[in-house]
Amino acid sequence: MSKGLSTVSGICLAVAAVLQGISILLPWWGMKFIAPQYPEGLDIVVYPYKLEGRIDIINGLNHYIGMKEFSAATFHELDYLPYVIGAMAILTLIAAIVRKKGILYVLIGLFVIGGTLGIYDMLHWLRSFGTELDPHAPIKISPFIPPIIGENRIANFITYSYFSYGSFLIGAAFLLVLLSLWKERKL
Amino acid sequence: MKKAVPAVSGILVGFLAATVFFADFTTQGTSTSATPTGEKSTAEKVYIPFGQQDEYYMFASGGHSGQLFVYGVPSMRRIRTVPVFSPDSATGYGFDKETKEMLGGFRWGDFHHPAFSEKNGEYDGKYMFATDVANNRVAVMDLSTFVVKDILKVPNTVGPHCAAFVTQNSEYLFLPTRFSAPIGQQYASLDDYKTKYNGFMSAVKMNEKTKKLEVAWQVKLPPWSYDLSDAGKKVSGDWAVVTTYNTEEATTNMEINASQKDRDYILLFNWRELEKMVREGKADTINGVKIIDPLKVKSGLYLVPVAKSPHGVDVTPDGKRFIASGKLAPAMTVFSFEKAFEAIKNNKITEQVKGIPVLDYASVMEREVNPENALGPLHTQFDDKGMAYTTMFISSEIVKWDPNTGKTLDRVPVQYSPGHSVSAEGDSVSPDGRYIVALNKLAKDTYLSVGPSHPESMQLIDLASDKMRVIQSAPVDPEPHYAQMIKADKIKTIEVYPKDETNPNAVYQQKNARIERKGNEVHVYGLAMRSKFIFDDKAKRKDTIEVKEGDKVVIHLTNVDFDEDITHGFGINGYDQDIEVQPGETKTLEFVANKAGTFPLYCTNFCSALHQEMNGYLLVQPK
Repeated sequence: MSKGLSTVSGICLAVAAVLQGISILLPWWGMKFIAPQYPEGLDIVVYPYKLEGRIDIINGLNHYIGMKEFSAATFHELDYLPYVIGAMAILTLIAAIVRKKGILYVLIGLFVIGGTLGIYDMLHWLRSFGTELDPHAPIKISPFIPPIIGENRIANFITYSYFSYGSFLIGAAFLLVLLSLWKERKL
Repeated sequence: MKKAVPAVSGILVGFLAATVFFADFTTQGTSTSATPTGEKSTAEKVYIPFGQQDEYYMFASGGHSGQLFVYGVPSMRRIRTVPVFSPDSATGYGFDKETKEMLGGFRWGDFHHPAFSEKNGEYDGKYMFATDVANNRVAVMDLSTFVVKDILKVPNTVGPHCAAFVTQNSEYLFLPTRFSAPIGQQYASLDDYKTKYNGFMSAVKMNEKTKKLEVAWQVKLPPWSYDLSDAGKKVSGDWAVVTTYNTEEATTNMEINASQKDRDYILLFNWRELEKMVREGKADTINGVKIIDPLKVKSGLYLVPVAKSPHGVDVTPDGKRFIASGKLAPAMTVFSFEKAFEAIKNNKITEQVKGIPVLDYASVMEREVNPENALGPLHTQFDDKGMAYTTMFISSEIVKWDPNTGKTLDRVPVQYSPGHSVSAEGDSVSPDGRYIVALNKLAKDTYLSVGPSHPESMQLIDLASDKMRVIQSAPVDPEPHYAQMIKADKIKTIEVYPKDETNPNAVYQQKNARIERKGNEVHVYGLAMRSKFIFDDKAKRKDTIEVKEGDKVVIHLTNVDFDEDITHGFGINGYDQDIEVQPGETKTLEFVANKAGTFPLYCTNFCSALHQEMNGYLLVQPK
């Protein structure tokens, strides 16, 4: 097979496509709120197409510091994100079938751009929620930006933000794409 | 530059790979502490460290408080007080429309005997039934919420002390009379006691769908007092037994006059047969109630002679025997159901009393058990091996004995004067044999003094070893008459009430909060949340209710904090109104605004850091 990618690379790409497809159904990112009164923790869990967790309770508590309400309606990303990821999965599958090296660069480029945009979007929302606080709120706190990953403290809450299964699968898919490129390097 | 790309990408790939493969997928784990080995000290046996919970729930009747006391065993910590037959300002019970109607205007009740619903003779953990000696009521409490769902006032049965006992699949709940009275409690001279007065036993059923109680049928009984009772199990599953006293039919100075005969009776009956008779139309219908009269029909009722004025009668876990406790006679009498069935078959009838055949004592009795110096046997519970534990009121002890042989096995003094006792699942078909609690009538010097009237006391006795030992003692308000102890994992409670979009009174969204006026009625559809009331979302002051003097005010209030333990209260200063809404719950408060003025309303149940700010006003404009 001259010029084309090897069978191994093809398989890597096919697996990467499947992982991306599966990731649509899984949680990608989450935040856990732990307080003395909530030792079990309150969760916000973000799927590509929905929000889960005890959103109502978190909203109820957040009104004390004047934070806007979370709801799936706020995040329009959830309307189209599954399609974007789906398209990426299909594109990866096409790459697996066509087995052209050129398409790999496109794929990697899209991964990098998509990932960057995704992180930027999350930062934007975290900044927006943490800094645009109602000035009439009963409890005044300094604006804050919760990290995308890791621990933060707001009033009596410690929050833990973390990536979840969906993101890990995307990471693995990206590695597989890189791996197929690495397989085809000129020795 | 060309070399930098693979270097940077290599590092990135490394990080990504590490994240993907070594990410911590476990949620924050709970550490399990090692179980200490070896014999525990008394303190260790009852100590429940923070974060762990008791092994059993104990539901103790609260007697004339009208309340139910819920304890944890073995810690003997009081967990909850549940109002049943009397109003309670701590929970707003008897103030909101539904519970006010349920209490029927009574300000007190005398809660005697609690009983769990059963399935195949085992507690199923779904419902608790309770009876009120003071006002002839029966209640059912839902164990998913620990809230009373229905109270039924039972006609004719006056003072259902002899209740509640539940058949092995909760088919019926029986309530026999303590006080005899004319039907419908009409007036009749006590000189006509023998002819116009009667005892009545009520068979009550619960409709599990509606959670409502109803009287299925009743049995007219001789004008005696009926004391305690138990439903049969397994072989005796269709039968039940009831103790009687005052077969003398005395009408005054009962202490003396009801204690004259050497023998009273145990009433033995087949409820399946009675049920069948009702179905076949053999019952009279009086004031809408189907009543079987043994003077008119052969009724499936039998009398078994027993030593005078017995108190408890308890069926053994295998359902083969019933044990009567003497109270005035210092003995327990073990009767055999099988012998009784045989005696009925062979017509071993000595006489008929008021239309009820009396079985020959010797044909039914197995043995009389008389532990040395044990006085005042009242009530018997059982362990996993079928051994009996009888409370001795006068000699202030619990005696363990073997119903198969009558041999005394052990005894333990308790302080003081136990009435009933309760062992772990002790009146089911399979008692656990772990603990027994003595429900003592007197505490005397046990606790710090609170004046001339002392609390009652409950003592926890460990049954794990051959020798019974008192391992804990807990004060209790007046007055547990009986209790039930159930394995904690059988009770499945809910954390919040589920949303009920079909409830027209519920308001789950702030924008739907509104106040509607219909003539001189003001209907408020409001909600409570941390930390505010919203009665009218469109109003300038959303937390104010303004009405005119004389208006009927109907306030529907929903707690929209669907969060564990976030209960809101709603009290109106100076208006004697007080309700509670548990998480997700909707309640209705109805009253007439009969005095003009300014009345602050506020959250009474501490809910949040700004609970103190959770208030508004009821403004009543003068006419």
